[in-house]
Amino acid sequence: MTAILKRASFLWEQSAGERRDVLLSLAALIAICLLAIAISPTAFDGSRIFLELGNLTDILRQVSVIGIISLAMTFVILTGGIDLSVGSILALSTSVVALVLTRWNPGYAQPVEIAAAMLAALAVSTAAGAFQGAVIAVFEVQPFVVTLAGMIGFRGLAKWISNNANIDIGFGRDIASTFAAIFRGKGVIIGCYIGLALIFGLLLSWTVFGRHVRATGDNERASRYAGLPIRRVKVLVYALSGLLSGVAGILYAAENHQGNPNSGIAYELDAIAAVVIGGTRLSGGKGTIVGTIVGTLMIGVLTNMLRLNNVDSNVEMMVKAVIIILAVAVQRQGRIAQ
Amino acid sequence: MPQEILSISDVEKSYDGVRALRGASFSLDAGEVHALMGENGAGKSTLSKIIAGAVRAGRGTLTIDGQPVVLNGPLDAQRLGISIIYQELDLFPNLTVAENLAIANHQFAEGNRVRFAELDRFAGRFLKQVGLAISPCRPVASLSIGEMQLVAIARALSMNARIIIMDEPTSSLFDDSVERLFRLIAELKSRGVAIIYVSHKMDEIFRICDRVTVMRDGSTVGTWPVAEISAADLIRKMVGREWKPGERGVREAGPILLAVSGLTTRKLRNVSFELRKGEVLGIAGLVGSGRSSLGAALIGLDAWKRGHMTLHGRPAAPDSVSKAFALGIRLLPEDRKLQGLMMQMSILENCTIADLGAMAPHGLVRRGREASAVLPFFRDLSLKRASLRAPVATLSGGNQQKVLFARCLLANPEVLFLDDPTRGIDVGAKEDIYAIIERLAQQGKGVILVSSELPELLRCCDRILVMREGEITARFDAATVTQEEIMTFATNPVAPGEPV
Repeated sequence: MTAILKRASFLWEQSAGERRDVLLSLAALIAICLLAIAISPTAFDGSRIFLELGNLTDILRQVSVIGIISLAMTFVILTGGIDLSVGSILALSTSVVALVLTRWNPGYAQPVEIAAAMLAALAVSTAAGAFQGAVIAVFEVQPFVVTLAGMIGFRGLAKWISNNANIDIGFGRDIASTFAAIFRGKGVIIGCYIGLALIFGLLLSWTVFGRHVRATGDNERASRYAGLPIRRVKVLVYALSGLLSGVAGILYAAENHQGNPNSGIAYELDAIAAVVIGGTRLSGGKGTIVGTIVGTLMIGVLTNMLRLNNVDSNVEMMVKAVIIILAVAVQRQGRIAQ
Repeated sequence: MPQEILSISDVEKSYDGVRALRGASFSLDAGEVHALMGENGAGKSTLSKIIAGAVRAGRGTLTIDGQPVVLNGPLDAQRLGISIIYQELDLFPNLTVAENLAIANHQFAEGNRVRFAELDRFAGRFLKQVGLAISPCRPVASLSIGEMQLVAIARALSMNARIIIMDEPTSSLFDDSVERLFRLIAELKSRGVAIIYVSHKMDEIFRICDRVTVMRDGSTVGTWPVAEISAADLIRKMVGREWKPGERGVREAGPILLAVSGLTTRKLRNVSFELRKGEVLGIAGLVGSGRSSLGAALIGLDAWKRGHMTLHGRPAAPDSVSKAFALGIRLLPEDRKLQGLMMQMSILENCTIADLGAMAPHGLVRRGREASAVLPFFRDLSLKRASLRAPVATLSGGNQQKVLFARCLLANPEVLFLDDPTRGIDVGAKEDIYAIIERLAQQGKGVILVSSELPELLRCCDRILVMREGEITARFDAATVTQEEIMTFATNPVAPGEPV
């Protein structure tokens, strides 16, 4: 077991000190879980509803969409940037996938048409992200401004191509229904999240690209002196952010049986919150994928706990706010003490 | 007998344990222009800041009009009539000229409501005194550097200053602005204002100053009337210690490795030189002389406007950093923290970041291979394999510099541009770095060494180029040149007929 842990340590430990940060947020997650177990309502047989397999997998399913977005958001924030456009790109993706599924009938085999629709959504989303990255890298405009514009512009594009209406994906026997049936499965959604989390964890820790991402955010000027491809790194992280927003959009469309140009509003804030709770510094350079996953789960478990106890959803938001501040303040104190 | 208005005795100051001032004494008379000279790091700016109340002295006494005073901040100094004009003019670029004059000014009692007419009248009075015919409503950012300089002086006057410190005021001015400044200084002087004039430029000192105080290594060496001292004497006092360059190893320079001709960039004009294999070529010059810009141009950070380069006799164009790296040219940057290290990353990661691709087949990092590549560079360092994972921020300045050396040397480059590699590190680590430079030359690499310390250049180099204002002003054989000769060419415009 320890050998496995040692082998896997690359996931959270690029340099000493990061392990502490991750352990700290893990401890916080466990504390929240224990609290959730303690105050969980019980079923007829006296067992805790929180601990039921169905409930635990529900938590995972619920956090998956934001979780997937926050994986790429971690990369963006590591470069010292921010991506406010993810919610709008998600909406764009839901609209594109629904449009292609419902309005395009070339008569190919079902799997081909479904794949084409998904590819179209992913291509549009990735292109949207890459475009923003290019503007940021080439014109050296602040990421906040560029992706704020993207947030407005891509929302507009999503509404425009869908005539500002939801595009329903049927419940019948058509292709769209098959698509929804496949991708709204709990297992598929959770599987997507876990798979992508692994890939992005490896990408950050094992690849030259991941190292360049951290170096760029740590000290961009020094990175330029070291000859790193800063522009390419920036374009790539925003492209990845667009790509994962696209994936999230496909899952969202399947789950809700519709392409919805008004979906994903304020998702960027939830994603950023997950990244920040996970110990990634907003100034860039330091952070881990494991941290982000822990941050995502913390929000998920907290929401679930409050809902199981019938806490008003407005109160839920206030509690979330407190958790975000607490998490970041504790990490900061830990660093100062170090 | 002129009346003394400011005197300082035995002032000391340390920053984080580094002594910037170790016993400086200074006196200033009313209505005099008093030059403050010294090499970079001699303590001129620390002393200026102490007088201006921006930095608190560690020990020592400061008297104004014969009364001992304690300055707790710039406002205290302002009330006593002391004003400072920093080299990088501390104006607010987005505020108007009038607002810049009035802000935090004890002479302009501003209520809660801005009275624009009064503000403009206040500003107008002092703009007229400095002879600046611009609207007080213009934003400072729209002015030329020369005009900004005058606005800064107007601000000092508006504070009723009796003592004005000017830190290299002409460093970014053109000739006509310089003349205007000098006329203004003469006028201020006639009104009894005392000016402390910090400058490297010998001709200015002899033209406008009455007395000169020389600083070296954080101490004041002495004060002389300008009329009674020669430029050569001044340089000797600034440089101080005599240095024997005898410890340089014997080496044979090989064939020409790198030849640059007519290199012109944003900051450089027509720079030409040759570098041989196994040679250490020194570059002397003050900060801003173009010595660092040369490194930036050689590794493709600054675009070449004109110029030609050959490497091994073949034309080569370093038009991007990666291209320059591929040609085998590496740079050790001047500012370790700003341009060198990624402070949140580990020692190992900092060593390999520039060449990670070469040790990562298919873009996948092999940590074992990475560590093995770096370890040889740390054989003489007490760094263990495991501590390579420690954050680079935990190392001392000297060892951080060795990390950057390792980064430069990892890909076995042929040309190394070392920009002030011993800056801010302790004496022991300096010796280590001299040894590294010596070893590199013995290995047949071409080394270009920039340094602020002339003894260092004399010790390590075969030849020395002197730079000033983006140009090479002199070329010397390091074995025969003196520090005085180098300083002459680093500070003075070249007289006609001098060898270039």
